Amino acid sequence: MASAEGSISSLVKKLLQDKSIPEAPNSWVSTTPAQIQQDNGSASTWYKEFTIWWNQLMFKESLSIREKMVLFLHNHFSNERDKVNYPQYMYQQNQLLRKFALGNFKQLVKEICTDPSMLIYLDGNNSRGPQPNENFARELFELFTLGIGNYSETDIKQAAKAVSGWQVKGLESVFDSTRWYKETTLSIFGKTAQFTVNSLIDLVFEQKATAEFICRKLYKEFVYYKPNEAFVQEMATVFKVNNFELKPLLEFLLTSEEFYKASYQGSKIKNPQELIIGTCKLLELPKPDTNNWYDMAIILQMQLFNPPNVAGWPGQRNWISSTTYSFRGGFTDSLINGKRYNGAAVTGKLDTLPYIRTFLNAEKVDLLVEDYFFYAFPIPLSKTRKDQLLQTILSGTIVSNWTTYIAMADTRVNSFLKALMRLPEFQLC
Amino acid sequence: MKKINRKEFLHQISLLTGGMGMGLSNFDAKAYTSTPLAFTQNLAAGNVLVIIQMSGGNDGLNTVIPAEDDLYFSARPTISIKKEVALPVENGMYLHPSMTGLKKLFDDDKVSIVQNVGYANPNRSHFRATDIWNSASDSGTIWDDGWAGRYLSQIYPEFPIKLPKHPMAIQLGSVESLLFQSHRGGFATVFDDPNLFYQLVNGSVADNDLPPATLAGEELAFLKQIASASLQYSTIIKDTANKGKNIQSYPNTSLSKQLSIVAKLISGGLETPIYLANIGGFDTHANQINSHANLLKTLSDAITNFQIDIQNLGLADRVCVMTYSEFGRRVNQNGTAGTDHGTAAPMIFVGNTVKSGLIGSNPNLKVLDSSGDLKYQFDFRQTYTTVLRDHLGATNSSAASLFTGNFERLPIFKSSPDSISDAGSIDMANPWPNPASISTFIQYTVHQSQEVFLAIYDLSGKLINVLVHEIKEKGEYNVSIDVSGWNKGHYIVTLLGSSGKRMTKNLMIN
Repeated sequence: MASAEGSISSLVKKLLQDKSIPEAPNSWVSTTPAQIQQDNGSASTWYKEFTIWWNQLMFKESLSIREKMVLFLHNHFSNERDKVNYPQYMYQQNQLLRKFALGNFKQLVKEICTDPSMLIYLDGNNSRGPQPNENFARELFELFTLGIGNYSETDIKQAAKAVSGWQVKGLESVFDSTRWYKETTLSIFGKTAQFTVNSLIDLVFEQKATAEFICRKLYKEFVYYKPNEAFVQEMATVFKVNNFELKPLLEFLLTSEEFYKASYQGSKIKNPQELIIGTCKLLELPKPDTNNWYDMAIILQMQLFNPPNVAGWPGQRNWISSTTYSFRGGFTDSLINGKRYNGAAVTGKLDTLPYIRTFLNAEKVDLLVEDYFFYAFPIPLSKTRKDQLLQTILSGTIVSNWTTYIAMADTRVNSFLKALMRLPEFQLC
Repeated sequence: MKKINRKEFLHQISLLTGGMGMGLSNFDAKAYTSTPLAFTQNLAAGNVLVIIQMSGGNDGLNTVIPAEDDLYFSARPTISIKKEVALPVENGMYLHPSMTGLKKLFDDDKVSIVQNVGYANPNRSHFRATDIWNSASDSGTIWDDGWAGRYLSQIYPEFPIKLPKHPMAIQLGSVESLLFQSHRGGFATVFDDPNLFYQLVNGSVADNDLPPATLAGEELAFLKQIASASLQYSTIIKDTANKGKNIQSYPNTSLSKQLSIVAKLISGGLETPIYLANIGGFDTHANQINSHANLLKTLSDAITNFQIDIQNLGLADRVCVMTYSEFGRRVNQNGTAGTDHGTAAPMIFVGNTVKSGLIGSNPNLKVLDSSGDLKYQFDFRQTYTTVLRDHLGATNSSAASLFTGNFERLPIFKSSPDSISDAGSIDMANPWPNPASISTFIQYTVHQSQEVFLAIYDLSGKLINVLVHEIKEKGEYNVSIDVSGWNKGHYIVTLLGSSGKRMTKNLMIN
C-alpha cells in the first residue's frame, strides 16, 4: 500500500503541475468590441472559434487537471454568451479562470468582481451606488461564495453598494468613485466599514460558510454528487489553513481515502463535454470533426459559454432526459458511421481496424472484448451484457475463427463499438 | 428522484419487455394481476393543462399595468408604460401594448388574470423560488418532488411498475423539470421534436439486466428508466403527431413551435393530461424596455395562435393554458433602466372554459414589504388547486393532499362546481407519521355505509397487508399498523369502496 500511495501522490503532483497559459485562438481577442462585429456576425464566428479552441485544449490535455478545473470554474462563475455578446470579454475571463485554476480562490473571486464579462453578465456594469443593481451582489453571495441561507436581504442591498461604481470601457473595467455610494459606511454581516470590493470579499471569506460551500461543490464534481458532509468539513479546514489556495486542497482531496473508495466508482454521469471529448480520446481519433463537437454540445445541453443561467449546469441526472439520452447514442454512432443523426457527414471518423489492432489481444476476440470493457467502463459489465457484445462482434462466426482479417471484420467491430457506446453504462464515469 | 431497488427495476423493465424471461425466484409475476390497482384515470373527460413557465422572473407590473396609478409612474420614471399606449382590460388595469392577441382573447371572454399571486416569506433567488413554485412547498420547506408529479402519482398508481400507453406528462425541451418529479420517478417524457425523437431512440434496445447494488447501480437504474420510457413512448408520440395537425400557422418562435406541437399531439389523440412549455429571458435587470416588450409579444402571439388553433380543431373546451414565473420584480426601477428581483405577480389563464376578468385587487404600490416589493394577495397554491379541481377534475381531498392543506379556489373558470363531491363516498388522509419506522396511522372516512377494502402494496404491486375488508357504517376510522421490520422503501396504501371510489396514498418506511 505504501508504494501504491507513493505512486498516487507522484501522479497527483503531476496532475497539479503549473502550465503556461496557451496562445490566444486569434488576434480578435485584443480588438476593441464594436457594434460592427455584432452586426456582421463575427461575434458568433469568433465564439465558435473560441469554443473549439478550448475543446482542443481539453482534447490534447495529457496528465493535467487544469482544463477540468477551468471547466469547473466556468460552471461556477457561470456567464452566458447571449448576454456577454462580445467574445473578447469571455475570452479574458476564460484565461483568468485558467490562471487561477490551481491558484488562490479568494483572489480569483476578487478579480471576478471586476471582470468585464461578469460585470456585463450580472449587471454590475454601470451600477451606481445611490440606486445600485442588486443582481451581482446577490449571485456573489448565493452562488459564488456563501450559498443560500447565509446572508440577509439587507446584506445584499449593502453589498450592492460596495460593488457599485464599476464600468466596462473598451476591454477593461474602470472604477469611477463618483458612481460609488455616498454613505460613509456600510454594514454587512454585522460589520460596519467603508467597504470596497476587496474588503467585502475579505469579509465574505471570513464567513464559515464560504470555504464549506466551495469544498462541497468540488466534492460533488470529483467524488459523488451527494456530499459526505464530514469530509467536506475536513476539506474546508484544509482550504482555510492554506489561505484558500486550490492546489493544496486538490492535493488533499485527490490523495484522500475518500476519493478512492470503491463505492463511489462509476457513480458520475458524464457531462456532455466529457462524453464528446472523452469518446474521441477513447477512440484515439487523430482529427475528429470539431463542427460535430460544437453542434452536439448544443444539442446535449452543454454549449460552452452558454450555461442555462447564473447557477451553471446542475449536472448528474439533469443531463439526461428522453431526448438527450437518445442524442448521446446518435453522437457516439456518428464517430463510427461518419454520419450524424440527420445524415450530415462527420469527418475524421474511426479507422476501425488499425485502431483495434493497437490492442494487445486484437486477434483473440474473447480477450479483446474483456480488455475493451475494462478500458471503456468504470464498472464491470454483467455476464449477459458481455455475452451479447461478444455475439455482436462475432456476428455469426465463432471465437476460434476470429482474426481482424476475416471478411467484414471492420463492420463487426463497428457494430460492437456502437452497441457498446449505446449502453447506459457508457454514460457513467 | 427516487432510487428504485433492484426488484422494482426488474419488474418495470420486465413489464416493458413483455414480462418474459426474468427467471427470478423471489418475484411472483402473478401477484400483480390480482391487485385492485388498475389504472383509473379520473381525469375530467380528457382535459389537458398546458403550463407555460416564464423563466427569469417576469415583471408583472409591466405586464398587467396599473397605468392609472401615479405611484407606478413615480416608481418607474423611465420604464413605465403610459396609459395612452397600453391596452385597457378593466378596473384601471392595462395589458402591455405588445400583447394585442391576449387583449383580443380577453375581450372574447377567454382570459383570466389573477393578480398579486405569491406566498409568505418570498424567496428572491431564481433557483429556490423556481423550486418553490414547482414543488408547491412553503417558503421555508424543501420538497424534492413537484406538485404535478405528486398529482400524477395519484392518477397513475401503477407507475413505475407499469407504464400506461400514453405519456403521463410531456415537457417540450431537453432538461426534465422538478415539476414532474415524484418519489416514484420522473413522469415526463421530454423532447423537442416528435419525429426526431423517434429516430434517435431507434437503435437502442430495452434490456432486463440488473444494475448492481452500488451507487453506480443507482445511476444506471435511472439511465435505464429513461431509456425504457423513451423506447416505450417515442412511437406513440411520433404516430399521434403525424395523425394530428395544426390548422393555424404559428410565428417562428421557440414557444410557438412548442405550443404547435402540443396542439398537434392533442389533435392526434394523445391522452397526456399535462404539458410543460418554457420561455426564458425574463431576468430584466437592465435596459428592459425593448427586451421585455419582445418577450411579452412572443408569449402573447404564441398563446393566441395556439388558442385559435385548438378552437379550429374543436379541442378548445378541453384545454387550459396557465402561465407562471418564479417571481415578479421590484416596484422601483433600478439605476440601469431595469428591475431587480421582486415578489408577487399576475398569472394568466387562457381557455374556452376560462372566465375573462381580473381577480383580486390592483397591486397596492403604497404598502410594500421591507424590500420595497409587493405583498401577495393570493397564495400560488390557490391557482393550482383551482386548475386541479375545476379543470382536471381532482377532488377536494386529492388536491389538498398535494399541498400543505386546503387552499381556497379562485373564480378562474366559468364553472366551478363542487365537482366530484366527496360525499356519498370514502376518503383517506395521508398516513401519519410518514415516513414511518415503527408504526403509522391511517385515517379514513366512510360517508355512506359500504364495503371497504384497505390494503398496502409495495411498489412491485405485491400485497403486503390487508388492513380492512368488511362492510363499514358511516363514520371516521383509524387503523394503526406496525411497520417495524418492514423493508425500507415506498409503499402504496389503497382504499377501495364498493361505491366505486378508489384512492391511494404513498407511505415511506425508513
